[in-house]
Amino acid sequence: MIVKGTKELAASREVVWSVINEPEEMAKLMPGVESFEIQDEKHWTAKVKVPLGLGGLKMTINFERLEEREPEFASMRAKGTGVGALMDMTTSFTLAESDSGTSMDWEADVKIAGPVGAMGQRVLQPIVNQQVGQVLTALEQRVTEAGGDAGD
Amino acid sequence: MTTVTEQPTTTLKKGYVGQSIARREDKRLVQGQGTFFDDVRRHGMGYVHFVRSPYAHARIVSIDVSKALELDGVYGTITGDEVAISTDPFFEMSVEPGGNIKDYALAVGRARHMGEPVAAVCAATRELARDAADLVEIEYEPLPALVEGEQALKNEVVLHDEAGSNVVWSGVFSWGDVDQALAEADHVVKIDRLHFHRFASTPLECAGALVEYDKGMGEWTIHCNHQMPGIGAIWMAPALRVGIDKLRFVTQDIGGGFGNKICLHPQYVVLCLLARKLGRPVQWTEWRTDQHTANAHGNERTFLDIEVAVKADGEMTGFKVRAIDDCGAFPRYEPLGCIIWAQVTPGMYGWRNIHVDFTQVCTNKSPVSPNRGYSRMQHLWLTERIVDIVAAELGLDPVEVRKRNYVKAEQMPYETPNGCVYDSGDYAAALDMALELIDYGSIEERRKEAAERGKLLGLGVGSTLDSGTNNFGQSTLLNPDLQFSGNNEAASVKLDIFGEVVVTLGTVPQGQGHETTAAQVVADILGCPPEQVNVRRGHDTWFNAHAGFSGTYASQFAFTGLGAVKGAAELLRDEMVKLAAFVLQAPEESIELSDGMARIKDGPEEAALPFMALGAIVNANNAFLPPDFNPTLNHRYVCRPYFGMVDKEKKTGQLTLTYATQIHAAVVEIDPETGEVEIIDYAAVDDCGVRINPQIVEGQVHGATAHAIGAALSEDFVYDEDGTLLTANFYDYHVPHALDMPPLKTGAMESPSPVAPLGAKGMGEGGGGGIHCICAAIQNALRPAGKPIVYDSCNPPHRVWSMLQDPEATRANVEVASR
Repeated sequence: MIVKGTKELAASREVVWSVINEPEEMAKLMPGVESFEIQDEKHWTAKVKVPLGLGGLKMTINFERLEEREPEFASMRAKGTGVGALMDMTTSFTLAESDSGTSMDWEADVKIAGPVGAMGQRVLQPIVNQQVGQVLTALEQRVTEAGGDAGD
Repeated sequence: MTTVTEQPTTTLKKGYVGQSIARREDKRLVQGQGTFFDDVRRHGMGYVHFVRSPYAHARIVSIDVSKALELDGVYGTITGDEVAISTDPFFEMSVEPGGNIKDYALAVGRARHMGEPVAAVCAATRELARDAADLVEIEYEPLPALVEGEQALKNEVVLHDEAGSNVVWSGVFSWGDVDQALAEADHVVKIDRLHFHRFASTPLECAGALVEYDKGMGEWTIHCNHQMPGIGAIWMAPALRVGIDKLRFVTQDIGGGFGNKICLHPQYVVLCLLARKLGRPVQWTEWRTDQHTANAHGNERTFLDIEVAVKADGEMTGFKVRAIDDCGAFPRYEPLGCIIWAQVTPGMYGWRNIHVDFTQVCTNKSPVSPNRGYSRMQHLWLTERIVDIVAAELGLDPVEVRKRNYVKAEQMPYETPNGCVYDSGDYAAALDMALELIDYGSIEERRKEAAERGKLLGLGVGSTLDSGTNNFGQSTLLNPDLQFSGNNEAASVKLDIFGEVVVTLGTVPQGQGHETTAAQVVADILGCPPEQVNVRRGHDTWFNAHAGFSGTYASQFAFTGLGAVKGAAELLRDEMVKLAAFVLQAPEESIELSDGMARIKDGPEEAALPFMALGAIVNANNAFLPPDFNPTLNHRYVCRPYFGMVDKEKKTGQLTLTYATQIHAAVVEIDPETGEVEIIDYAAVDDCGVRINPQIVEGQVHGATAHAIGAALSEDFVYDEDGTLLTANFYDYHVPHALDMPPLKTGAMESPSPVAPLGAKGMGEGGGGGIHCICAAIQNALRPAGKPIVYDSCNPPHRVWSMLQDPEATRANVEVASR
């Protein structure tokens, strides 16, 4: 499943880059993160709870930074395991300066295997959309704050 | 005493046979007193949960079971590596390349379909085993998945490196001269592509077993619901490196099995290994999601490049087709599906020139197994689609085309181009009966009335043959080196000390009412009420009479199962007569058995012996019997049907013996806004020869029809491009329930089989007729909406809606060349 879009953010490219390229900062933006651990500058792990049916799906997700060209492009891979599900995601974003601040093109190729994947896009697509929406909203808020902080 | 003969056909004078006696099994079943394998408990038993691959295709990099083993209450685990060391791959029936495939009980090194068992955990409770299974850490390296049969032929992704190809088996069958038929035809109808979809059966009871290992004897007892343990043992014993006698299969009640309880040997081997490794009984009950995902599906088949030769008057003289059969990740029961269809090569029609280029391939989907109507259903659907498409494209009446081309009653017994013999039947009369049931004469009026309500109404007919009593010699048409041929089934009948008649069956009933019908046959032969006949429940390979092909499958109980019962009962009857004649000092010809007594015909009332007396004399009071007279009152009989040898060069021979007829007719209404199909009238006519118990026959017709309706409208195993099954639950894979069933009208005919011991033909697999007639009815209803062609066997609303939106896309599949 490939999801992608463009988000206009009211902050400079450097500010946006500093937020989304900092694992701990990003962890705060992700919904359902229960714990977060950094192994090194390219690898980190998060335990997350995805809202899926009663109780939610708990996954351990290992992130790996694949490529970065500051301040315009970065990509990473995330592999997650949980009961009845394996997730393999490759995601990237490209930042460009725009009239409003920064324009972020983002794309994620999400593969879900296992019985959860068998639920099909009928169920997974709305959940992925919801999760992405929450991340982007939180990101917008955070970069605005960060931009304000930088302005102070 | 054991006797093996071919029986002459005799139709019993109808006494209890032919009556709708209430099924004796039902009392215990409706009272919740049935005993299923899951009811069997043993001290210290452990529960098994399989760890299954979430990927359709992946290399198994590592498996770490340590965290699972640390959990309190976990007894042990097993992985593919252990299986590879302690067992051999299962026997493969195909020639190369399929014959080179190595199929183990657990995935070894690579997972090849979603849900494939990769490891197993055994624990003190079922729930604990499931939790512990989640702690097994498996690292996978996903590989490209192969989900299309046609794509498999390219071998860009190869599932089994040792085979070097995805092809399991391929071959060409050619009878008559189809090229000449096409050259002489007035019309040649070409159909580029038809697709028979992937679905399965849904037994109430999922698969499973409780397995005990006797360390002292090196033997396993498998309490299970395997429907064909004889074949199961043939697969399992060599894999476990033991003799067949080391495996004892015990079944009691079984909650349905439509073929998908035949290929359970991989799971059972894992259970055997765990029971031996852990030194305790182990039990596994399949979860329903696992049953959907990875038990076994029916064969998916794509028909390509079809060409049909048609004369100006609508006579069809031949057809050619290229068939690609998708058997999933492993050819577990295959490649038998590559020949089983040939039992019904021309369908119900007089085609004499047929050319079939058949290829079977592996894909990253669940393995298949026989599924009600196995392999013939796909082929019969092809013949029925051909008839309806030819009729539609040439502007002919599909009913008239059928009648013109059906094999005629006066041609029976009819030899097909490939040497099969249709034993009896009157197809045209059965069609008339079905049409009458749905009031065929009023269709146009009803169509008009529906149109006024904005609905599209259509009528469809499905003709199908339920071929029964397999000749396993047909397997040698696929692999000449196989040492299988013929068929057999056993039964024993004895008279016990208190006069009880006791029957054991070689068959393994799963709800077909064998206890009832066997009692009816025995009661008629011995002259006693059915209540006096005790038919043992289930099957035990150590104690029941059984033979190499024992089991319940392929529509053959009425022939081989009851044939064996009849043979054994007749041996017992003859001995009872002889014993009574000796005791009563009367000629044997004067002895009659009736009402549970042996008496002298027209003799004094007191010149009679109750069965109890006969049983007691032989078993407990036999000192007065002379030394040269040693009755046992205990007889085993093996019914061995006669087939003769198949011709491996010409690929001809008697592949099966009886052909029950089913004609289904459906009237549907389609909502053009949504594509929703509603069945508003439905008739099923069944002719299975002599009906031993008409109500049981009726029940089978109802069940097969429900099965067909589900397959035709909603049951579809859909995979995405990664090989993930998208319909692994009842929400997405809708099995018809009572409210989905249309008003069902049934009709029965009896064309006794001249070859079957009781004139009765196997039946119960005729549901294919329902798929055919619904496809035909949808196509007929859609005629005013651009004449789309129904090209898939499953037509849920979205597919019907697509046909309504773009009928030309389907019509591009069809071309007519006329002289």
